[in-house]
Amino acid sequence: MSFPLAGGTSTEPALEPGAPPPEERSSLWERRPWFRYALRCFLLYLASLWGALTIAFFFFRMLPGDPVSTVLQSMQQQYGTTVQASGDLVARYRTEFGLDGSVIEQYLRFMKNLVLHQDFGPSLLSYPTPAQDVIGAALPWTIGLMGITAVLSWVIGVAAGAIAGWRRGRLGAEVTANVAIAFSQMPFYFVALVLVYVFSYLLGVLPNRSAYDSQLTPGWNLEFIGSVLQHGILPAVSIVVIGSLGWLLSTRMLIVPLLGEDFLSYAEAKGLRPSVILRKYALRNCYLPQVTAFGLGLGFIFNGNVLVEQLFSYPGLGSTLVAAIKLQDLNTIMGITSLAIFAVLTANFVLELVLPLLDPRIKGWR
Amino acid sequence: MSDALTTTAAASVSDGVATGTTDPAGAGRDLDVILDIADLSVAYATGSGDLVAVKDVNLQVRRGEILGIAGESGSGKTTMAATLLRLLKKPGRVSGGTAQFFPGSAPEGVDLLAITGNRLRRLRWSSLSYLPQGSMNSLNPVARIERQFADVILEHAPKRKAELPTLIPRLLQQVGLDPSVARSYPHELSGGMRQRVLMAIAISLEPDLIVADEPTTALDVTVQRVILQTLADLSRDSGVTIILISHDMGVHAQLADRVAVMLDGAVVEVGEVRQVFHQPQHEYTRRLIESIPKLAGAAVGVNAGHPVATGEDDR
Repeated sequence: MSFPLAGGTSTEPALEPGAPPPEERSSLWERRPWFRYALRCFLLYLASLWGALTIAFFFFRMLPGDPVSTVLQSMQQQYGTTVQASGDLVARYRTEFGLDGSVIEQYLRFMKNLVLHQDFGPSLLSYPTPAQDVIGAALPWTIGLMGITAVLSWVIGVAAGAIAGWRRGRLGAEVTANVAIAFSQMPFYFVALVLVYVFSYLLGVLPNRSAYDSQLTPGWNLEFIGSVLQHGILPAVSIVVIGSLGWLLSTRMLIVPLLGEDFLSYAEAKGLRPSVILRKYALRNCYLPQVTAFGLGLGFIFNGNVLVEQLFSYPGLGSTLVAAIKLQDLNTIMGITSLAIFAVLTANFVLELVLPLLDPRIKGWR
Repeated sequence: MSDALTTTAAASVSDGVATGTTDPAGAGRDLDVILDIADLSVAYATGSGDLVAVKDVNLQVRRGEILGIAGESGSGKTTMAATLLRLLKKPGRVSGGTAQFFPGSAPEGVDLLAITGNRLRRLRWSSLSYLPQGSMNSLNPVARIERQFADVILEHAPKRKAELPTLIPRLLQQVGLDPSVARSYPHELSGGMRQRVLMAIAISLEPDLIVADEPTTALDVTVQRVILQTLADLSRDSGVTIILISHDMGVHAQLADRVAVMLDGAVVEVGEVRQVFHQPQHEYTRRLIESIPKLAGAAVGVNAGHPVATGEDDR
């Protein structure tokens, strides 16, 4: 694999008169080093994706216990009869769940189904619904709750942290920072419990469980959307309250040392408005670490938040994952794990491409 | 940049400070004071009492001149610059004095040390501009050079927005840079180029007064000379007043009209640059002048274009 790089042509003495000069051929690589960088990042992304999925696959196959006997047991409980697990039946289920043949065969089949059909096989949780459909049902709730709260936490936390850092030494800013330090270590479920106690139990104004009113049928109508929003408030607020404190503290920590920088004095000497100096000079120089952390955090959203979901009976991926692990539902576990791997690595890949825009000094090419 | 506006208004509110000659034709221009520093003292609060960095400085800056301020490290030069630019940070504070500034926009004069808020902000750059040392981190590392021109121009002269695409290249060319520099980030430029960018930004709004704090320090001698020449050209062409702070007497010899020598926070000598160099009144001034490297035997040329030993034979 040899790319036509610069300088490589100097050893070729005589080109045909009609042939284009060698620089022309290498022009894409020459003029767009960014392209080479993006391609390298993408290949690395594919390689890590493959590696992580492979490790996850073999890891879960190493778990003790047999999913097929779990199925049979659950069937016995369900129908109250003793199913005589004949060899044929066991073999049929093994085939259906992709558990027949050697581990290597299973692995190759898993990869083929994943790449070609995005198919993880049937789930145990709600057999015979395919695992990807089980995940698909929980996914919108998780993305909706966790995604929106992640963005809100970041925006509120970074903005408040920037102001707290900018006005350091003043009473309000110092009180904010110290309160944030105290409360950021508080487990969020404590906040959630307090909120539930006040708003559902004492005041009775907000629901404390489920994602929507079970009397309604899901659909794109105002009533249902309103119900979703109403049910989302308590879990969302409890996540944002604690989540934004972390961003507040880290942003403040990044801003304070910047305040002594020459370019801030220079901006002040220029007579720019304080708000402009804060946004375009101080905060702008904090985006690199804060956006990186946010991007990586976004990937972890797809693991769901088990505590929130359990506490509010929210039908997200976290509860699904816990239920699947209890049942040894390998296909669903693999599906959620693959989704999380995909999300984290994709976020990482996008960050590699975006970060040079935020700080030109970290240009990865050339 | 005319100071003709001063004539009528001067009588009304002059805060007791004479604005010098009011002759609009410019015959008495050299005597026209643009900045009158009176009894200025600046102190830094330390654990063991105040450290006085600037002591009772009285200094008049004339319109259109280049006033050099010389002195060794710790003599209070930079503290005075920061004070005049209102960039003095805690624990530093002005412990006394005034600095009456007479820009074209406010011929009746404003006290630079008393003005605050939006009035101060509006005075900045359009009247009072700053040229820092290029080796400092004065340019925003994550913004293109053109943004750093645009933000200050749009802040003070929003009507010039349409002009920006021609104005920025013209300013860059004026300091001897290629217009393509506008698209660069600071880390892509050399120290000398950054110094020129800062110079171009400093003059972008045609200020009345530029405070230049060590504009050639940390540059090699060849680049230094080019920078000084460009500053001299700018001053001659636009008539801008420059307060030039440098520890290097050679720089003052080449560029300044007058020079003030500071020692331990006090101004010990002020005068025409020739006079100070030929007949230094203070022992400290004499030592500063002697510290300039010379060509063997040759006296230092004042304002002769080659004050600093650039010699190839001088090794």
